[in-house]
Amino acid sequence: MNRRGFLKFAAGGTVGLAASPVIWNTLYDAVYWTQNWGWIPRLQKGASEYLPTISKVCPSGTGIRVRLVGGRPVRALGNPGNAMSQGALTALAAAETQLQVSPARLKTPLKRSPDGAYVAISWEEAEKMLRDKALEARGAMACISGDPTSSVNEVFTGFMNAMGSDDFYFMPGEELPALKAWSLMGGQGRLGYDIEHSDFVLSIGANFLESWGTVARNRKAFSAGRPAGQKPALKVAYAGPVQNNTAAGADWWLPIRPDTEMALALGVAHLVIKKGKAPFRIGLPAFAALAERYDPATVAKLTGVDAARLEAVVDALLEAQKPLVITGSPLGAGGAAGPIMAAIAINILLDRVGKEGNLVDLSFPSPVVNGATHIRSLLARDLVAWTQAVAAGKAPAPKMLMIYDANPLYALPAGSGMAEVLDRTPFTVALASFMSETCARCDLVLPAAMGLERFDDACTPYGSGQFSYSIAAPVVEPFYEARPAGELIIALAQELGVDLGVEDMPQLLHKKALSMGADFRALTESGGVFTDDAQRSPVVPLFNTAALQAAITTPAGSSDASVRLAPVLVLGMGTPQTAIPPFATKIIADYQLKGMDSVAQMNSATAAKLGVRQGERVKLQSAAATVTVLVDLFEGVQTDTVALCAGLGHTAFDEFSRGKGINITTLTSVSREPGTGLSVWGGAELARA
Amino acid sequence: MSEIMDFRIRWGMVIDLDKCTGCGACMVACQAENNIAPQVDASNKLRSLNWLVVYRLSNGRAFPDHEVAYLPRPCMQCGKPSCVSVCPVIATDKREEGGIVSQIPPRCIGCRYCMASCPYHARYFNWYDPKWPGDLGRALTPDVSTRPRGVVEKCTFCHHRWQKAKDEAIANGRDPWDLPDGAYVTSCAEACPNGAITFGDLKNPKHKVHELSQSPYAFRLLERLGTDPQVYYLSRREWVRRKGDNYLEDEPTAGTRRG
Amino acid sequence: MEERNHSTAPDTAQSCRCCGWGAFVVGLVAALILGWWVLPGLMKEDKKQPVAFNHVLHVQDQGISCEQCHFLRKDGSFSGLPTTASCAECHFEVLGSDPEEALFVRNYVRTGREIRGEWLVYQKQPDNVLFSHAPHLGDLETAASAAELCSRCHLDVSATTTPPVYTENRLSGYSQNTMLMWECEQCHADTRLRDPESHASNACFVCHK
Repeated sequence: MNRRGFLKFAAGGTVGLAASPVIWNTLYDAVYWTQNWGWIPRLQKGASEYLPTISKVCPSGTGIRVRLVGGRPVRALGNPGNAMSQGALTALAAAETQLQVSPARLKTPLKRSPDGAYVAISWEEAEKMLRDKALEARGAMACISGDPTSSVNEVFTGFMNAMGSDDFYFMPGEELPALKAWSLMGGQGRLGYDIEHSDFVLSIGANFLESWGTVARNRKAFSAGRPAGQKPALKVAYAGPVQNNTAAGADWWLPIRPDTEMALALGVAHLVIKKGKAPFRIGLPAFAALAERYDPATVAKLTGVDAARLEAVVDALLEAQKPLVITGSPLGAGGAAGPIMAAIAINILLDRVGKEGNLVDLSFPSPVVNGATHIRSLLARDLVAWTQAVAAGKAPAPKMLMIYDANPLYALPAGSGMAEVLDRTPFTVALASFMSETCARCDLVLPAAMGLERFDDACTPYGSGQFSYSIAAPVVEPFYEARPAGELIIALAQELGVDLGVEDMPQLLHKKALSMGADFRALTESGGVFTDDAQRSPVVPLFNTAALQAAITTPAGSSDASVRLAPVLVLGMGTPQTAIPPFATKIIADYQLKGMDSVAQMNSATAAKLGVRQGERVKLQSAAATVTVLVDLFEGVQTDTVALCAGLGHTAFDEFSRGKGINITTLTSVSREPGTGLSVWGGAELARA
Repeated sequence: MSEIMDFRIRWGMVIDLDKCTGCGACMVACQAENNIAPQVDASNKLRSLNWLVVYRLSNGRAFPDHEVAYLPRPCMQCGKPSCVSVCPVIATDKREEGGIVSQIPPRCIGCRYCMASCPYHARYFNWYDPKWPGDLGRALTPDVSTRPRGVVEKCTFCHHRWQKAKDEAIANGRDPWDLPDGAYVTSCAEACPNGAITFGDLKNPKHKVHELSQSPYAFRLLERLGTDPQVYYLSRREWVRRKGDNYLEDEPTAGTRRG
Repeated sequence: MEERNHSTAPDTAQSCRCCGWGAFVVGLVAALILGWWVLPGLMKEDKKQPVAFNHVLHVQDQGISCEQCHFLRKDGSFSGLPTTASCAECHFEVLGSDPEEALFVRNYVRTGREIRGEWLVYQKQPDNVLFSHAPHLGDLETAASAAELCSRCHLDVSATTTPPVYTENRLSGYSQNTMLMWECEQCHADTRLRDPESHASNACFVCHK
């Protein structure tokens, strides 16, 4: 064929192809092909089902409904059938299904090799190791638990008591000082708060709309008391050094200096007495004499709160029908009992204690596991006092330390002695869901099933207004090789011949529910809460002025060149056990964290005193540590005060948490509260380094 | 598009800024519901992607007279959306009953005219491919398609939830075009523990939002631009209402005027 | 130059002139064959379903209705394909003599493998399409039968003993039976023309997510 012939052939071919559908079809298919983004995940379909349970990552056991698609949990939604949280969610509970598959989850048991690296081992090997070490340690065993609401603690204490060890401690929280204060002021059981029936909440330092107590329930009460667009039926006043989330919802902000909660509370008591509201009670004269010293001018000097503003709040407090005064610590742990006693005293002055919308006295549940220690005695134990004693050589170091669902190495302050305890204990084992700082220091790391994957429960979380009980039932198989910690310890006890009286966790929970008259099945099926108002005892509170007086400390001021630290707690940033959930990086504001730097918020007067400008990177030092932070000017902070977010500065976990910002607990040191002897921390004096 | 688009159903939100305490539960719920990928570093707010953002407002006074408020900002689903008129490929449109402004990522060419035109910064560009490290992708919902790098996305009022609510109504023999209050709510409104976000049909007197949107304390953002947003805000505090628009010094604040 | 002159010799040019249109026709015919039959075949790939499910056996012999497997759930979503678990309600063990059933019981029921995820969907739509069965089933009144209504979009498989061949487009990755956007739009537009009150609009979000 010649050239011309070929061209004709080609022309024929072109016409032929154009007359056939192949080109057009290929173009059409190509359009579809461009929409196939194979490098990003595709959606998986399936039937939806909604299973109720409770969130165990959220410290107050928020009720959730987990949406599963084809058996995969995809969403944690609120559960209106849960009488505590009433369908409300917290930023942390909302992220639970993502936490369940987060990159920080532990997949297999890990053993620390001599060179410090972690190697994956089988469960058989891990269990054998645990058994051998438990037999070796026997009476010299210790345990730290980060979940005071769970009955799994009975398994731990029942087993340890049978082995001859009693060194069981909870991670410090708000309940330890509250229990101390409440018993000193005449309470019998544990302190409860009937927030939903109150019409005025004066919160002194308690971040109750964000992190304090039963958050979802608190906020539901707040929501109900303030119908949209109408006059609020519930008024809120917040006293704290920073305009935090609670201050944003409050009608009044009383900007107190850090660590002056006690002085403010006594100042409020002074005005209440002066305005003639106080009913006669035994011990009133002594208390009145103490409060007499806290006139508005003195309080203004101590706390920095303007006298007129304080009076306005007290007037509103006295006008209210069902006022309630609550207190809390800025870090949610390490708080003193003094301010709580002072708050209780105000509630007594208002003649509201034990009445609707005020403080209530709730009973403790009884243990159902053989040989388990009563929760009351566990809650009163001071972990830091023990770790400090061990670190100082005043108490014997354990031979084996179990750390369950806790991250003490991160959460405890400088000088707590936790690192020394880990160093001195020959065998440390962490039962955790996420690779935390503490896990990274333990000899054996066991992957624990998360709340969504195990049977567990929550009994009367701190802040509750009722004796309550709810059950977590698994909605999904454990992640990789994770196992429920309770089952693991029950099996260990069985092998070592300890009879705990329960075969597994469901049986334990069944017994527990039965012991308080709750229905295990109904609770697991509805995700609801069992409440029992009969478990509220009548209370005869008293003014324990001696105890109050003993707990008074001179508020540590700041010198000409120094400022005070004001920790800010945001629940969305996770707990020390979870670190920052993957979805939470976006809810962290750039005035909390910027890049890899923590941001220190301060008002312009403080900035001028420190000689820093907006956006400047500065080094701040406390007695315990030196940190580098960015400066952000924010007028919602008390003068001579620097606000820094807790929950940052992780060195373990995953890329969403690691290396971001600073851990503010490293800045604070432990001291003893006079009178009660409790370990307290949270404050620090900072100066430019 | 020069006319204000109106429909028989007008899905809308009323957000009470006096109830919002800025916890971010709505943002988490939004990300989980709409398959928005997590970001390792989201502290650069110009590069982080969120359909719903909670802003902190300040009354601008110095300590101790300073006050804060938080403002959640979804897409306003404007009656006269400036984004729709500038889109060269009709990737975004407002044509459907309910008045939700649609955004179809596969159709988007990433020119970002809509982002420039949106006065509320409600639109976000995928600067990076979404990544769900490790097993995180297992928690993806089947309801919203994943979007690649190079396209714009925005809040859709959880449109798939409306579709579901309609389907459920059909399956149960109810009228899908007359949903009762609460049958269709967005993920953020459902998640808010403070009940700050109310969602419903602004035109339906049986829906709570209808009454709330007529409150003397109600206002909309940058109302005078004429975008006619379907998102209303409430605040009893005048300084908060005043933040909603650019006022001249002695001009009265919207809301106050009506009330 | 020499070469070129040689190759364009007058005699060959002469012969080409007479077969000139012949080359065109040959090209045309070859291209038409290629474009209508050969290439489209190469663009497609036939795939077999994981199990040769016999509808006749289930529907006619066992009297199972369509709705027992394909039904609208209470939440308004549609159960298109049954799960291994729902198949196993009957097939917890081998019931008949069909080797395909034995294969299914061994590979799926015993192992708990999910057949749903492996079944090739003739009408598979991309992720960004939101198709609800619920509003479309409302047409049941206008349809002759449920089978007729379903077969407006789906292959009618109720009378097949083996599943139809699944033909996948190699480029787009979709089944050749997958309905394309214009087809959806056409029907929506027609419905709207017939009944202006209908909600079958062609607004983007009616079908996209």
